[in-house]
Amino acid sequence: MHSEVRHGPAFATLFVGLQPGDRIIAESDAMASMGPRVQMRTRLNGNFFEALLRRLFGGESFFVNEFSVPGGQADDSVVLTQRTPGDLRTIELNGSTLYLQPGAFVAAEPTVDLGVGWAGFASWIGGEGLLRLSVGGRGRVWVGAYGGLFDDDVQEELVVDTGHLVAYEPTVSLNVGLAGGIFSSFFSGEGLITRVKGRGRVLLQSRSIDGLAAWVNAHLW
Amino acid sequence: MNVEIVSRPAGAAAWVRLERGDAVTAEVGAMIAMSPDLQVNTTSMSRGGKGGILKGIRRMFSGENFFLNHFEATADGQELLVGPALVGDIVAHELTGGAVIVQGSSWLASSDGVDIDTTFQGVMNALFSGEGIFWVKCSGAGTVLLNSFGAIYEVDVDGSHVVDTGHIVAFEDSLSFSVTKASGSWIGSFLGGEGLVARFSGRGRLWCQTHNATSFGRTLGPHLKPRQEG
Repeated sequence: MHSEVRHGPAFATLFVGLQPGDRIIAESDAMASMGPRVQMRTRLNGNFFEALLRRLFGGESFFVNEFSVPGGQADDSVVLTQRTPGDLRTIELNGSTLYLQPGAFVAAEPTVDLGVGWAGFASWIGGEGLLRLSVGGRGRVWVGAYGGLFDDDVQEELVVDTGHLVAYEPTVSLNVGLAGGIFSSFFSGEGLITRVKGRGRVLLQSRSIDGLAAWVNAHLW
Repeated sequence: MNVEIVSRPAGAAAWVRLERGDAVTAEVGAMIAMSPDLQVNTTSMSRGGKGGILKGIRRMFSGENFFLNHFEATADGQELLVGPALVGDIVAHELTGGAVIVQGSSWLASSDGVDIDTTFQGVMNALFSGEGIFWVKCSGAGTVLLNSFGAIYEVDVDGSHVVDTGHIVAFEDSLSFSVTKASGSWIGSFLGGEGLVARFSGRGRLWCQTHNATSFGRTLGPHLKPRQEG
């Protein structure tokens, strides 16, 4: 399977070349276009119970799509994208696990395990859902963002504005708090923040849908 | 006439350089800046008086404006800068006979020799493609500027190709499409979130956009406050 991310960082899009037997799993509605030999098959996002939980509490799709080229056919291609303008990151998993915030998952190789885990009330209060998607095992996973994507290696603690955290390693924990005192939290425009504690890698996005919505709402009447 | 596209793909705009007598027709609101010796006429007709009110009305159904702006250079070395409202890309296509069918909101501008008309792509496609009832048909000889939400990528179709509705920018009229299901089964197509797709067939060029304005709207929409009554 050949893959290439093009048109980033503003409109990063995944162009995938499939040989017979290759498969790629993509988030619902991710397909922009595909060649005539590509077959799309819809399946549950995990087992039924997991898919249901993820749909109800995690803000994820109940179904994912699998794209493949049947044996005996010539190579073909599929173009996968995300709902928001922004960057895409290819992450190679070698037995490690990564937690993804709702909406971040774009695509994965079939060897990657898509799971669901309890994210906790802190995540929910922070507007990120009670459950979180975990990706583990081996293979490549493609993670999307609204805006640019940045890595950060958290040593002890990192304070992140809600809506900007895209993915994090299981070695860190999340706590929701106020940005400052009660007064400054509500008038500074920062409101709630997420404290990422521990040691591990996090992925951040440079824009947030909440931020865009607040800006658009201020211009509506 | 010479076209240079800058700030691709996110903030694309097109510099059009015109000599005396050159003319460009553009979508209303597309002009960002222009030289002083460009004469602007706003009409519901394409240049030369073809069409009129009926064409204007059909254009409204295709997602374009009722009116068009004509820019004609009355001196040499005039410049016109045009761009779309949304963040996104622009491509210039040289028409030499033949025609391109453009998804309503993707037509930005075209040069004098290009005839702009609306076209109907069949009842099923009008109802289910999610792209509007009429499409813009550009024919003749000259330059057509297409714009998109997201970046534009080209596919040279020989046989068939599948595009999710919402990702079509334009296609050569040697291609035709029908709206169909995305996977082998109807249930799978809808549960998988892909719903209906356009299946193109024939031989010719197809322009797609990487992003889908409707999907973005659905992501943002729930966060917006309700419209105030009154």
